[in-house]
Amino acid sequence: MIQLTEVQKYFYRGESREVHALKNINLTIEEGEFSLLNGPSGCGKTTLLNAIGALDSVDSGKIYLDEKEITTLSEDERTLLRLNEMGFVFQSYNLVPVLSVEENIGFIMKLRGFDDNEIKNRVKEVAELLEIQDKLQSLPNTLSGGQQQRVAVARAVASKPKIILADEPTANLDSKNSIALMNMMRRLNEEEGVTILFASHDEYVIESVRRIIRLNDGSIVED
Amino acid sequence: MFSLALKNILFYRGRSITTFVLTFFSALMFIAYVALMDGSHGSMLKNALKVYTGAIEIYKKGYREEGGNDYLIEDVASVEKVLSKIEGISDYTSRYETYGLLSSKDRSTAAMVAGIEPQKEREMSELYSTLVSGSYLSKDSGNCLYAGVDLVKKLQVKLGDEVSFVGSASDNSFAADLFKLCGTFKTGAFEFDSTAAFLSRSYFDELMYAKNKASYINIRLDDLDRVDAVNEEIIKQLDPQYESVTWKVLMKSMVQAMQVDSIFGYISIALFFVVIFFVIMIFGFINVSSRVREFGTLRSIGLTRGKIRLLLFNEIFILSSAAILFATPIGAYIAYYFSLHPFVMEGISETYKDYGVVSDEIPLAFDLFTISWNVAVIYLLNFLSIIYPIRYINSFKPVEASHHV
Repeated sequence: MIQLTEVQKYFYRGESREVHALKNINLTIEEGEFSLLNGPSGCGKTTLLNAIGALDSVDSGKIYLDEKEITTLSEDERTLLRLNEMGFVFQSYNLVPVLSVEENIGFIMKLRGFDDNEIKNRVKEVAELLEIQDKLQSLPNTLSGGQQQRVAVARAVASKPKIILADEPTANLDSKNSIALMNMMRRLNEEEGVTILFASHDEYVIESVRRIIRLNDGSIVED
Repeated sequence: MFSLALKNILFYRGRSITTFVLTFFSALMFIAYVALMDGSHGSMLKNALKVYTGAIEIYKKGYREEGGNDYLIEDVASVEKVLSKIEGISDYTSRYETYGLLSSKDRSTAAMVAGIEPQKEREMSELYSTLVSGSYLSKDSGNCLYAGVDLVKKLQVKLGDEVSFVGSASDNSFAADLFKLCGTFKTGAFEFDSTAAFLSRSYFDELMYAKNKASYINIRLDDLDRVDAVNEEIIKQLDPQYESVTWKVLMKSMVQAMQVDSIFGYISIALFFVVIFFVIMIFGFINVSSRVREFGTLRSIGLTRGKIRLLLFNEIFILSSAAILFATPIGAYIAYYFSLHPFVMEGISETYKDYGVVSDEIPLAFDLFTISWNVAVIYLLNFLSIIYPIRYINSFKPVEASHHV
């Protein structure tokens, strides 16, 4: 379970507080949810997602992951938290260019110390689920955008994190690939029981999720 | 991390090749340069010590400052008995040096006349091998004088001519004799060749009343690198009326010249390293800054700053090791080959003749320990060059790095 209480975030430019990016956010996301942070550009979706994913700090308020407060953790503790508890899908895929698809998918498992056989079997299983099993030996730069995004999803899900955070995962995909990706994400949610939180204003995503949290100007306006 | 580092090296070929080539040439040049510097100094030293000065010399305290008959070693045998028991000494010989007037029919000049043990000197110094004309001395060569070519020129004598000597015996009595010029030598050191003349001790001791006496004892070592240790041992065992000094003291001016030469050598190599360091660092920085997003991704998905550091250290370690692996055997071979087949630099002996250098050959020094520290320096340089790029990349927050353009 993820719980946010009175979270505030400012973006500073010089000395003055220029942008109040998150205003007094109170939010609870239960285990197994398939939810969306939605709103216009600049409303704070990505900032909130980054704060939940311990990628960025907040100025005040508290964020709990399974009753563990993550806002007080050090940089390295947050990195380890991301490694062990979370999976990320980024808008621009962010795959490691020097690693093959197979190595990219298994990378987090390897960092977490899974043994090689377990990694191999899990990579195969996830690749089949996301229909990229024939691309395992390819390098990311030889794949299409849709294929790269599926590899990113496979990497995020392979190590069975508690939560997957996906920031605009369909932004670089055409409609066909967007629908396919959302179908796969829903299957992962249903079959693997993974909590998935999107940040997006894409209609394919809006149509697919079970809960929509609307933000505007840094505040939750509808849930 | 190691396998990821290897993949990065193969993927970012441009930077990898540049780092490899720079490290390769740095290592190669460093090994060869240090070998040349050490080799030339070693050669200077070897030549100089071979001519006349010993690796270690024993004097009665006061002789080196005051000279004269009051500071002679009065019991050579007892000192030699001590020396015979010390490890690391390969040979020793006593010399009795005096200054007097040598005169031919037409000319006179002050000279250093020394009584030597001809057979031992033949092994220990270059006096025999620098023979130019006539013959070298022997135990029974009587009043035969073996003189430097420039001294002979001054006296205007030729082989077989008689030369008179007037001086002071060891008991300060008047000593005079007639010597016969039997041989001449040329070491190349003008000062030495124009003032030195030698006689066999068996004859000279009678004339100078110098039996079992000596101005000093000259010592040769098995291993010149152990000179300080052996000297310490000699001092420990020797009667305190004597002093034992190494070539470093005896040839102070040469030591200083070598030190100055080394300093300039290391300054020029340090400048070279500064350039190499910055080139490697700049290439490393360019490479790292073009991969900020990639590092952002790695940080986002779970690589700590420590692991990023390890990754970049692994990359530079692999590249350095590969370059050093190629450069070291080549550099070592160059050092080894030229240690056996020295360079010949025409005129070098003329330049350094004051230090007793008699050869134009400059060998390289082949020493595995030196090569090892050369390699260690190159590794260190490469590791240092990656510190700034690491600090730069780790200064980003993951989210900043992920969105870096």
